[in-house]
Amino acid sequence: MSRYMPLSFALASTIALASTSDAFAHCFVGARFFPATLATDDPCVADEMSLPTVSWSKTADMPPASEWDISGELSKRITENFGVSIGETWAQIRQPDGSVTAGFQNFETAFQYQLLKDRSHELALMAGVVVEWGNTGATNSGLGTSYSLVTPTLYVGKGFGELPDTVAWARPFAVTGQFGYQIPTSSFDFSQSVFIPQQLVYGASLQYSMPYLKSEVIDLQLPDFFNHLIPIVEVSLTTPVANNFGNPYTTTGTVNPGVIWVGSYFQVGLEAQIPINRESGSGVGVLGQLHLYLDDMFPTTVGQPLFGGTSAAPRKLTF
Amino acid sequence: MRMLIFATSALLTVTAGTAAKAHAFLDHAEPRVGSTVPTAPRELSLSFTQNLEPAFSSVEVSDANGTRVDQGKPKISASVMRVSLKPLSPGTYRVRWQVLSVDTHTTEGSFTFHVGR
Repeated sequence: MSRYMPLSFALASTIALASTSDAFAHCFVGARFFPATLATDDPCVADEMSLPTVSWSKTADMPPASEWDISGELSKRITENFGVSIGETWAQIRQPDGSVTAGFQNFETAFQYQLLKDRSHELALMAGVVVEWGNTGATNSGLGTSYSLVTPTLYVGKGFGELPDTVAWARPFAVTGQFGYQIPTSSFDFSQSVFIPQQLVYGASLQYSMPYLKSEVIDLQLPDFFNHLIPIVEVSLTTPVANNFGNPYTTTGTVNPGVIWVGSYFQVGLEAQIPINRESGSGVGVLGQLHLYLDDMFPTTVGQPLFGGTSAAPRKLTF
Repeated sequence: MRMLIFATSALLTVTAGTAAKAHAFLDHAEPRVGSTVPTAPRELSLSFTQNLEPAFSSVEVSDANGTRVDQGKPKISASVMRVSLKPLSPGTYRVRWQVLSVDTHTTEGSFTFHVGR
């Protein structure tokens, strides 16, 4: 039996026992909707699935290799404010000489807790711990590692809906950010004879919501397609900060301009990946994602938190 | 990946046959969001992307001083909510709404429209 089977069975069982509740679901904070971002994480626990996320890029090697990453992630609320995510990535690296390395990266989980959703200020805060589990990927080919990576992370999102009427056009703007400190469970990688650094893993997004513009500021009677768009720029960065002996403390990462189309049950995102320096990659890559809102697709089953939901009748809405 | 596939399969199995409904977004309003209308409307109409639960959906309209100018209970039919308005003088009016879609998802929002200028 696969080592994943017990956990899988437990997950499937708890899904089957899903209770009823009042569901705010994916990332709504007052009038603000934060879409699921592609390179970073949005600031809300939710019932959602990203399948697939596909990226293509060229590595920083000289000459560069081309890399495909195909990943999936499933996020599930356990309670109204606590959620768990599981994710896996399959990678393929093709060297200029035609040789190919392919396999799974380490299995990843995230445990996240919603600290705050301030509707009037369109502010969301979430804390979490991301764990990439050692020895769950293709360690022989270097795509997985024998050690785990633990990253306590803080997530934030803020909408600009409070801006005055004189700059009402800017109210659809919102920012999100995440700030994590990555700690490896081993300080030295004997297979490659290198120190394993502790790193800051952080990122942000600036987004402009056309749905917000239409419903909160001004209805320009644009074609419906445009009213579903959220142009976005994401930044995803990593900076070694400790245990990096003999290596430069260079920040690496990408700037990702793109757009997300938001529907009632799913969203589709497409971004360019622009390396911030030579150490981050060669040339512009591409990142795409199909993201499903499970709470909207299956509101009475999977779209509910497993435990502790407010199974009573919905509250009377008041201003 | 095997676990993800298994979990996804379980998810799809459990949810097979479940009716899909979603959050109710404001599709359009009359008077339109952010618009200026030359004459005072007698009624505000809000159309949403999903059907609403009348008992848990509400709307209020207020003038620049915060005085309510809507009158009577909102009338809700399927995905459309209407409320009568008192005679409006020229000025700016704010609409604030909260609705519950039929699958218990709540959404809210606000916008302004202008009369006579």
